[in-house]
Amino acid sequence: MIKDILQALSIIAIPLIIAVFVIYAARKKVPVYESFVSGAKGGFEVAIKIIPYLVAMLVAIGIFRASGAMSIFVGALSPLAHLIGMPPEALPMALLRPLSGSGSLGLMTDIMKRYGPDSFIGVLVSTMYGSSETTFYVIAVYFGAVNIYRTRHAVAAGLIADAVGMLGALLICRILFGS
Amino acid sequence: MLNYVWLGLIVIGVLAAAGSDIYDASTNRYRNGEQFELQYDSTSANAAVVSYSRQYFDKFYGVQIEATDTLSFPAAITNNSMQIKLGDKTPELWQTVAKTADNPKEITATIVKRSGKSLFILLPVTNLVRTKAVLDAVISYSSLAVEIAIGLIGVMAFWLGIMKLAEDSGLIKIIARMMRPIMTRIFPEIPPDHPAIGAMIMNIAANMLGLSNAATPFGLRAMEELDSLNPQKGTATNAMVTFLAINTAGLTLIPATAIAVRAAIGSKDPTIILLTSFFGAGLATIAGIAAAKILQRLKVYRFDKTTPESPEVRGK
Repeated sequence: MIKDILQALSIIAIPLIIAVFVIYAARKKVPVYESFVSGAKGGFEVAIKIIPYLVAMLVAIGIFRASGAMSIFVGALSPLAHLIGMPPEALPMALLRPLSGSGSLGLMTDIMKRYGPDSFIGVLVSTMYGSSETTFYVIAVYFGAVNIYRTRHAVAAGLIADAVGMLGALLICRILFGS
Repeated sequence: MLNYVWLGLIVIGVLAAAGSDIYDASTNRYRNGEQFELQYDSTSANAAVVSYSRQYFDKFYGVQIEATDTLSFPAAITNNSMQIKLGDKTPELWQTVAKTADNPKEITATIVKRSGKSLFILLPVTNLVRTKAVLDAVISYSSLAVEIAIGLIGVMAFWLGIMKLAEDSGLIKIIARMMRPIMTRIFPEIPPDHPAIGAMIMNIAANMLGLSNAATPFGLRAMEELDSLNPQKGTATNAMVTFLAINTAGLTLIPATAIAVRAAIGSKDPTIILLTSFFGAGLATIAGIAAAKILQRLKVYRFDKTTPESPEVRGK
């Protein structure tokens, strides 16, 4: 029931938002076409502005992933993962999630194909994927758009949120689907 | 901190690649210069099916024997060389050999000698596998970054246009006023009527509904508004970091991508993760906000108006 409502909501949300915004603006006597265009002009500028930030971030992550260094981290952290009851197959997912959206999507797909989407590991990795965003991508894009170089505690706070998200996913999956 | 993370990713990546290549070279992992024995069946004058047992393969490369079946591949044979077409079942080692030699779908090997149904071949010399992969990554990820940014232009323009309508009509202010009690607590530095509040709410709402292509333009609009309150351009403010922490936690009612993939793979209950990911992302959001609030007081992270401005800003 709730699932159906949520799914329906996500489909009608976009047309609804567009309709409400345009109609409300028209009622308030805003020149809708002019106003829309003047806002849309910013799209190009913002997209171009983030390019250098995105290049810097994605290339560093690309180098890291292509080098195979991830397996070193997985090896080093697997005793710790074992200690908290995380299946070793799910550890790369937890490490990759903040770094790469497409990478973790591929990994999630791969793991679910191998172990089955309804297995404990399958449910766990898809929960992990849904429990976080690609932190480094968000940082590059959002700060890039306003030319922020000094990010202060943003990386630390983002990674703490990721770690808690991953552990939370593990906790709830163990409670509900146990293993 | 981003400086160190960035440096770390690159340095660790380059060192790991070099180390792994040196190790592979010292153990001759790809058996460069050693003859590999294949069985072959001619199907026509210059085509054949070649095969080997997995056991022989694993022994040849000195890896743990895992399977005992026989693998066969179609191949095109000329006088002293052959192209082996690879398939899904090809062992990873051979896939790496093919990829490093620039054609992931086939291996071009030299035929050394034939005897009866046996064929002795030399595979292409394979070395610096990781280093080459790193070089490829540099080029492909640079292009990917530009592709992503260019791909954003259209959607970004559309949603920024819609956003402008909401700003001009005063709708954003109404939305902001509804959420005021929560927002003033999370973002005490931002005046409650400031347009940044409205944009942030729109961003969070879009994220909750799983509308990620609308969430980014709203979020970037919010960042611009937050930056208008920034006394020191180039440095993140407390409000920006808190806002980012909320975004990196990715709280959503509908984890659409994960559900779609689960359904595509044939899950009996693709939406089973609705509750679990909401729980995980909810915890992450709370932790992110708490971490941002606590860390902003630490001396190393404190917002310092006296630090020199970034080179680009200073130049203006």
